[in-house]
Amino acid sequence: MGFVKGLKCRECGREYDADPVYVCEFCFGPLEVAYDYKGIKKVLTRKKIESRELSLWRYKELLPIDGEPQVGLTSGFTPLIKADNLAKELGVKELYVKDDTVVHPTLSFKDRVVAVALTKAKEFGFDTVACASTGNLAHSVSAHGAKAGFKRYIFIPASLEASKIAASLVYAPNLVAVDGNYDDVNRLCSEIANKYNWAFVNINIRPYYAEGSKTQGFEIVEQLGWKAPDNVVVPCASGSLLTKIWKSLKEFQEIGLLKDVNTKVFSAQAEGCNPIATAIKKDTDIIVPVKPDTVAKSLAIGNPADGFYAFKCVKDSGGHGDDATNEEIIEGMKLLARTEGIFAETAGGVTVAVARKLIKSGKIKKNGSTVLCITGNGLKTQEALQGHMGEPYHIKPNLEAFEKVLKQNREKK
Amino acid sequence: MGGKTTRRVKLTFPPELIKEPVVFTMAKKYDIMPNIRRARVTETVGELVLELEGTEENLEKGIQSLTKKGISVELIEGDIIE
Repeated sequence: MGFVKGLKCRECGREYDADPVYVCEFCFGPLEVAYDYKGIKKVLTRKKIESRELSLWRYKELLPIDGEPQVGLTSGFTPLIKADNLAKELGVKELYVKDDTVVHPTLSFKDRVVAVALTKAKEFGFDTVACASTGNLAHSVSAHGAKAGFKRYIFIPASLEASKIAASLVYAPNLVAVDGNYDDVNRLCSEIANKYNWAFVNINIRPYYAEGSKTQGFEIVEQLGWKAPDNVVVPCASGSLLTKIWKSLKEFQEIGLLKDVNTKVFSAQAEGCNPIATAIKKDTDIIVPVKPDTVAKSLAIGNPADGFYAFKCVKDSGGHGDDATNEEIIEGMKLLARTEGIFAETAGGVTVAVARKLIKSGKIKKNGSTVLCITGNGLKTQEALQGHMGEPYHIKPNLEAFEKVLKQNREKK
Repeated sequence: MGGKTTRRVKLTFPPELIKEPVVFTMAKKYDIMPNIRRARVTETVGELVLELEGTEENLEKGIQSLTKKGISVELIEGDIIE
């Protein structure tokens, strides 16, 4: 019943069957899912989508599965919030926050990609799923995999903070802490993925896994009343999310659900890990890997798999990119919380801080509609805020002490 | 000839090394067979995607020699830890 035609190499265009493979055997280019858009156009309408459950699976024809969804049935369809308070601060007219801090079950946009990856892993007949992660992806694979009944192997660098380990361990996966630096962990996982017959979500299942990100773009369009925004600001780690949001707009246009796409796509990175932003600013399509050093750990991918393609989407759309310092990231997190009541993780601070810069420099026009993609919950990265917030008032348990504080507070204003 | 293995890697060259035959030199010194699959070179940087075949020990040494020269050697998958 699915509409997947197969996989296609993004570099040389060679076609492959829809198997658990991820790289072209000829040019080593990454593989991407190709769909039968004519077939989808015949069956998928706005009305049909609107009649379905409020989850990411309401766009299932545009996702790479053959049967019915099996994992993450309540994930997705997060709020698109009209952010008037933040708009005033940033000096734009129409601003929205796509709030993936509240995706179920693990409070980040990774619940989208993992829902799709694990449904596909079931279809392929795998009994074990795996990933390498420092945070959000580990939590999501651990949780979704538990519910779906998979054996789970989660690889983490041994130096990872205790709080991030707990948020995976509670779901009782096989958590493997690997000694060595990030490069060592990367290499080991590549070897494991090539040796064992497992669904390694961001290696051999990657073409399918990455497609889950499109649902964030589909939702934005639907929630804007079937309109594409003028600007969208996307945080970039591997660059995959940005490319898939662009793809989601193009697909909606292709199947006739969206008339015009004049959206400019903007890339947001941390200054301490900015290979994509650097390429955009230098206007060169070769992404030079970096060694990450930033508080935005969930964006700390120094050698981004989709960096080149993210660069291309930004350029094709007429967008731009920028990066933010650690201080600007913290300020961005605080600003979003103070104005919109949304506590985002550090990556959210990156998006807000970079949006501010792009608006200030005129790259994002003040009159258009702008969507900020906020991808994870702040409770996961609370340590980043230590020493950067106000202190509580400490008082004795009597009314007099409280009223003294109240008086001081009123005088301040 | 036993014990040969392959690695798929992406090399990123800084401008000063683009004109040097670094891959050839490495291949000859460590008995590694390079099989180039894709390449892009601009004025300021070069990128080469290739498969290297040799003994595990020689591959390790060969890759280290490239890194020492200032070439970035990465997995073609990109960083896997997300």
